[in-house]
Amino acid sequence: MSNLQLEVKQMIIDALDLEDIEASEIDDNEPLFVDGLGLDSIDALEIGLALQKRYGIKLKADSDETRKHFASVNALAALIQSQAEQ
Amino acid sequence: MLSFKLQSWNAVAPGLESESQWRVWLQQPFPLSSELHKVSLTQISPILRRRFTELGRCAAGAALPLLEGIDAIPGVFASRHGDTPLTLSLLEGIADDQPMSPTGFSLAVHNAVAGLLSIARKDVSAATSIAASENLMPLALLEAVTQLQEREQVLCLIYDVPLPELYRPYAESESYPFALAMLLSRSEGSDMVLEQISPRRGLPGESELLRLMRFLCDLDASADFGSGSGVGWSLRRTVDAGEN
Repeated sequence: MSNLQLEVKQMIIDALDLEDIEASEIDDNEPLFVDGLGLDSIDALEIGLALQKRYGIKLKADSDETRKHFASVNALAALIQSQAEQ
Repeated sequence: MLSFKLQSWNAVAPGLESESQWRVWLQQPFPLSSELHKVSLTQISPILRRRFTELGRCAAGAALPLLEGIDAIPGVFASRHGDTPLTLSLLEGIADDQPMSPTGFSLAVHNAVAGLLSIARKDVSAATSIAASENLMPLALLEAVTQLQEREQVLCLIYDVPLPELYRPYAESESYPFALAMLLSRSEGSDMVLEQISPRRGLPGESELLRLMRFLCDLDASADFGSGSGVGWSLRRTVDAGEN
């Protein structure tokens, strides 16, 4: 598990009050929403806000691209990586 | 005059969770903690449980034990102030130019507790959220008894948490969080009557909650509300059920 992935997981745990969940319990490739971790649409908005606050990333609320970025920890990490390289 | 049956009730405050604990405390009150110790809410999945603030934990802690075995029931959700600690924290965030948390915003509305319980119980029955300053408790009962004309059972849930310090000069609140859940029924339970009375001057200085709890714990024969302006209300048991 790379540092960025761990950072993303900790951001999700902090932003969503997932007190009972450890970063190590979140799978890098599993879906974050509905299946897998079981997050919902309000959580998606909250993660969007956390990305904006922490990495300055602004996303459109309901585009297909945003859905792809939010698919898993790995997808979010890739998004952050690509923004950092720009 | 409105008649209904009270099938069961359950009240929660810091250190007070059973009828006997309430009765002992009402007879010899002592200051309660201003915070509820963790209500565990094991009936609710952890992923949903994190959404419950203290107000919601308190309300759910009172209501869920009464609702075991009931799949669908309409509910009246009554709170004088709602989630003021949460609302204040959102307002402070705005003043500080912070972007607002979508979760915090969604939970700050007056019907948030009704919504959370509906999701947790997978119960899509009608939910009514009300607020009132004076007469909150009899008006919550009035709404619930009115809905009972159409339904077999109605949940009446009344809850509040202490106001944040900032608001205290402007309004009254209990100094401790509390929730009272009452299960009203058309056919099962103790016979009750709710009626309008002329507002009484010189009612004891007790809060509506204490008056209602003293009545529910059989320490008073009736619970009278309304203190001089507007309309008064009285809740009492029907003395002899045989006469009905």
